[in-house]
Amino acid sequence: METMLIMCAGVLVGATVFPARLKVWNSRLQVAMTALLIFTMGVGLGSRPGFLAELGEMGLDSLLFAAVPILLSVAAVYPLSRRFLEKREGEEEDSP
Amino acid sequence: MMALIALSCLTAGVACGLWLFSPGASAWLTGHSQGMLWVLMFLVGLSVGMGKDVLRRVGRYRLRVLLLPAAITGASVAAGFLCAPLTGLGLAESVCVTSGMGWYSLCGIMLTDLAGAKAGTVAFLANLLRELLSFVVIPWIAARLNHYTAIAPAGATSEDTTLAILIRCTREDVVVLAVVNGVLCSAAVPFLIRFFYTVLG
Repeated sequence: METMLIMCAGVLVGATVFPARLKVWNSRLQVAMTALLIFTMGVGLGSRPGFLAELGEMGLDSLLFAAVPILLSVAAVYPLSRRFLEKREGEEEDSP
Repeated sequence: MMALIALSCLTAGVACGLWLFSPGASAWLTGHSQGMLWVLMFLVGLSVGMGKDVLRRVGRYRLRVLLLPAAITGASVAAGFLCAPLTGLGLAESVCVTSGMGWYSLCGIMLTDLAGAKAGTVAFLANLLRELLSFVVIPWIAARLNHYTAIAPAGATSEDTTLAILIRCTREDVVVLAVVNGVLCSAAVPFLIRFFYTVLG
């Protein structure tokens, strides 16, 4: 919830007082923050006691439990998005 | 390119956590990850706010914003039924593991409490791997299928960790949908785990 509120604050600032000439710097900062966040996540995993041992013991089953939901989610969302999101988007752009 | 950056950062982070950083330094860094996410979200908000067209496009989705979380939740639960016979884990535990939709901390803890250490560890690892695999497949899906489908692998994490990569690979209006999807999926996770463990257990 906080995430949404903070994004809304950003939207408000972006729509009113934020200078357009800083758009490129905003984009660069986003890349830097993204990299830092992913690095931090890696640090969190690496510092977890027994992380490598757990991964070795139950890795294969866990991989299956990760891959199957991803595959099914993609298989469910793709046709729906083609039918209800992309198509409508095209129709709305075509309309005057 | 973004997948490569994500993988490099993740690998470097794991290596630093394992061998380079002291426990104190690791704890300090990970303790500030929420703040980093908030900064990133504010920056994304700036982009959305600057693009006047973005808000108009988001407004046009109306009830269709519920389509993605509904499809992702349904598919994740169905995956649990499919995985149970393949892995030998009980049906209730299996469905609970996939109902985590990438929220490894909560799912791991809940399954440990409900079903014991083994199910808890599988839940933790499986949902962690879902998040890690998402970093790799999101750029590919966004480029080859469409931006909406790139939200699918992320599940409940599309409002935080994987949002970072969704921001780089999709449009601003899709990022807003990703946040909405993440909020709704995250809200559903604890209910789904309790429900399926009670009904199927």
